[in-house]
Amino acid sequence: MDVVFLFAMVIGLLLIGVPIAVSLGLSSIIFLLMFSDTSLASVAQSLYQAMAGHYTLLAIPFFILASSFMSTGGVAKRIVRFAIACVGHFHGGLAIAGVFACMIFAALSGSSPATVVAIGSIVIAAMTQMGYTKDFAAGVIANAGTLGILIPPSIVMVVYASATDVSVGRMFLAGVIPGILAGTMLMIAIYVMARIKKLPKGEWAGWGEIGSAFKDAFWGLMLIVIIMVGIYGVPGVTGAIFTPTEAAAVASVYAFLVASFVYRDMGPLADRDGTGPVSLLNKPQALVTAFFHKDTRHTLFDAGKLTIMLMFIIANALILKHVLTDEQIPQQIANAMLSAGFGKIMFLIMVNVILLIGGQFMEPSGLIVIVAPLVFPIAIELGVDPIHLGIIMVVNMEIGMITPPVGLNLFVTSGVAGMPMMSVVRAALPFLAILFVFLILVTYVPAISTFLPTSLMGPEIITN
Amino acid sequence: MTQYQDNLPKSALAAFFDGLEENIIALILGLMTLITFANVVLRYLFNQSLIWGLEVVLILFAWMVLLGISYGFKKTSHLGVDAVINILPTRGQRVLAIISAVVCLIYAALLLKGAWDYWAPFAALQPTEGRWFPTGFTENTRDRAFYVTDQVPMLDMFRWLEGLINYGDSYDKLPRVIPYAILPFSTALILLRVVQATVRIVTGKQNSLIVSHEAEDEVERVAHGEYEE
Amino acid sequence: GFAACDDGEMVIKFSHVTNTDKHPKGIAAQLFADRVNEEMDGKVCVEVYPNSTLYNDDQVLEAMLQGDVQMAAPSLSKFETFTKIYRIFDLPFMFKNMDAVEEFQNSDAGEAMKQVMVRRGLLGLEFWHNGLKQISANKPLINPEDAAGLKFRVQPSDVLVAQMEALNASPQPMAFSEVYGALQTGVVDGQQNTWSNIYGQKFFEVQDGVTETNHGLLDYMVVTSVDWWEGLDADIRDQLATILEEVTVERNAAIGQVDADNRQAVLDAGGVIRELTEEQRQAWVDMMKPVWAQFEADVGAENIALAQEINAKH
Ligand code: NA
Ligand code: NA
Repeated sequence: MDVVFLFAMVIGLLLIGVPIAVSLGLSSIIFLLMFSDTSLASVAQSLYQAMAGHYTLLAIPFFILASSFMSTGGVAKRIVRFAIACVGHFHGGLAIAGVFACMIFAALSGSSPATVVAIGSIVIAAMTQMGYTKDFAAGVIANAGTLGILIPPSIVMVVYASATDVSVGRMFLAGVIPGILAGTMLMIAIYVMARIKKLPKGEWAGWGEIGSAFKDAFWGLMLIVIIMVGIYGVPGVTGAIFTPTEAAAVASVYAFLVASFVYRDMGPLADRDGTGPVSLLNKPQALVTAFFHKDTRHTLFDAGKLTIMLMFIIANALILKHVLTDEQIPQQIANAMLSAGFGKIMFLIMVNVILLIGGQFMEPSGLIVIVAPLVFPIAIELGVDPIHLGIIMVVNMEIGMITPPVGLNLFVTSGVAGMPMMSVVRAALPFLAILFVFLILVTYVPAISTFLPTSLMGPEIITN
Repeated sequence: MTQYQDNLPKSALAAFFDGLEENIIALILGLMTLITFANVVLRYLFNQSLIWGLEVVLILFAWMVLLGISYGFKKTSHLGVDAVINILPTRGQRVLAIISAVVCLIYAALLLKGAWDYWAPFAALQPTEGRWFPTGFTENTRDRAFYVTDQVPMLDMFRWLEGLINYGDSYDKLPRVIPYAILPFSTALILLRVVQATVRIVTGKQNSLIVSHEAEDEVERVAHGEYEE
Repeated sequence: GFAACDDGEMVIKFSHVTNTDKHPKGIAAQLFADRVNEEMDGKVCVEVYPNSTLYNDDQVLEAMLQGDVQMAAPSLSKFETFTKIYRIFDLPFMFKNMDAVEEFQNSDAGEAMKQVMVRRGLLGLEFWHNGLKQISANKPLINPEDAAGLKFRVQPSDVLVAQMEALNASPQPMAFSEVYGALQTGVVDGQQNTWSNIYGQKFFEVQDGVTETNHGLLDYMVVTSVDWWEGLDADIRDQLATILEEVTVERNAAIGQVDADNRQAVLDAGGVIRELTEEQRQAWVDMMKPVWAQFEADVGAENIALAQEINAKH
């Protein structure tokens, strides 16, 4: 079948080391030239419209930018201090604090690897100092870091919403309970292991430390409040202020202001000579120069560069999607699956398998752009809730990130922990098992995903 | 695996272009953020909106990404799968790297043809003849120079286009020929960067077209805010 | 190709942005495809691409001029760059009811409007109806003053923006897919649309109520590329045109019922509908009608006069 040829071409090119984006794009173009009358100009149109025609994808550069400002701007280290103050005194407390810190950072950032680096670079070192094995520390952080895309905001959810036209706000709400559940499952597993293995526990530093750590982290934590209130409003006080896409832009501006003027870990007021940050009163021109400061420019460029890498892949995945649509492949697959008599359960297993396999090769956003339109119509036909389907996809992507050969969290963790990648794979395995149990739970208990959006925003409407 | 990276000495001209591209990317992202933020403030506090704001931000988004793709080829920062190539002997790696480079050349060339064919009618120019290989220019393609954006105001600095391509008719909005001009420009730049990368690979100065997944590099990258999935 | 089309059949791609079984446009497009695929079997095959899966309304016209899609039915406000004359259909209170719209479109002036884009490569084949627009917000709208200061989502069109400004309301551009969420959370206060969209998109669920103003029109035009259309064999072209015309007559005649059904469905689902008294409606007319003057040059004074002449008969 022609479509098998198409996917074989994509995988073949990927394996010989062609960039992911080019593998997707060139396979689509060749397929188009061979099997359709559609012009090459339409490929250029798709490429341009991948950005200019997808309003929701605009959230990607903004959430990346917000993350960049927070990493450079010292928000992460303040969150770790707060997390240790809260749960550091339990058995395995520092590991639990690591998970907790990952959950908090996940609520600020849309990304998993960013979460691993921000929290992991601080927590893994601290854990090994306190007597944990490096493997254990790396395994915990590699897994907990994946919560970055499950706990809202989430770049992967934005991509899913854009590919299927469901509401981004609903997807974000749907991730809250699963995110807390997954984090809690990890923390319980650590606690149990800690009791069995007699892992170290920290000192209870008292409510005073919780208070002062909270005070220090306050401006960073406020971002969670700003995003949530901004997107959903406060009943009786204010309606929502911005859309989820705009929220990301507001978050960037806020993170820039906090990093440059409150924490002063970057920008014109930063400590350059070890005497502490400069007061704005002594350097009022910083209000203007901060916008053009080299730290700001550097952060903007880094975020832009990452956006470009991701969007290059997504744009080519959209070209592939356009070609698949043009040749009516989704309808054929849907018809084949429906006429094979697949029920809901069988369908969901199929989706899990496709995504788990795809996740071994592909970067999550690109994979979602391709798979979502293929399975979405079938899901609707079978009565699967689109929001539930979205959460299942996100959890599959989480697993894909800590399984080789393409697992961004693996690469990042091995770097942060300074250990070989295969050791990280082994270290992550016990916790990966927990994520698998969690995937099964999320797949077969839709209410975990749909309860919050349904009770707050009413039942999902399918407009297609 | 060593990569063609910043640590190699570079000419003043190369440094100038690196800096220029980096500044443009930073500037565009900054503008996108500020315009979006301004629209939120205007709407929530003043019940106003920049009616063109959304469209301009989307155009900037497309410009940033399209310009940045060629930068990514120059700096070998595009993602790929290196699990297979890493287990091959050096000779095998070189062969696959050259094949990959040829694949990217074909991609960039086809993209450039598509981009020209798409953009040319908006500029009252002729698209190329031929399904995949340009065999000349078509004749008598209806031009689309009249085609304007939805809400972006016309800028006086572009009024000369009215006489040049729009039969003297005035534009009430910015014509699409301007935002779409990024397509032929950026795809030509992509082709140039891929040609340069291919030369580096063939002469042995570069090992592959994709970012290496050696752990230390990764952390360095993420620490700088990259990889955000 | 893969599709249900047989080898040797000429494939016509019809791209649109709605569902295929509930929305008036989707139903009409599917009916057209079904009839062509049956009556012209072996010669011509229509493939419908619904739900913006292939192109959205902004991209489809470019693709059509490029030859990548053959038929589409965007709303009339999407043709702004090709002609300003369709602005007459967006002007507030220009048509009394759908019968007046129908008569205007079938007049010589209406027929001529299908031809105005020919020099730019598009040929209008038929007008398709969606219906008259109603207005809704998160507070009761009885008098036009009630809309003052509120934020309304509008399609980004000069006429619709001017219309909101005439009400002293704030027009907000926003992607259609974000409107429900934005209305619910209060990012914007209100919207205006036809009964089928208000019910189909469930906007009434997140609004205080819908005010039955019938102040505007949402219509579509089935368009094709002049170059493609003129390149067809004459008998094929005639048969396509005939089927399309019959489908148009059938579905446009049904629009009153579709509208009434959707209106009733809003009520059945617990939505609030506010009807206006004659004086209240007149107040809206007085407030919004000055917008006409701004766009008279675009749409032609003679067309406005004709519309009013036709209104008087209905
Ligand atoms: Na997150
Ligand atoms: Na993987």
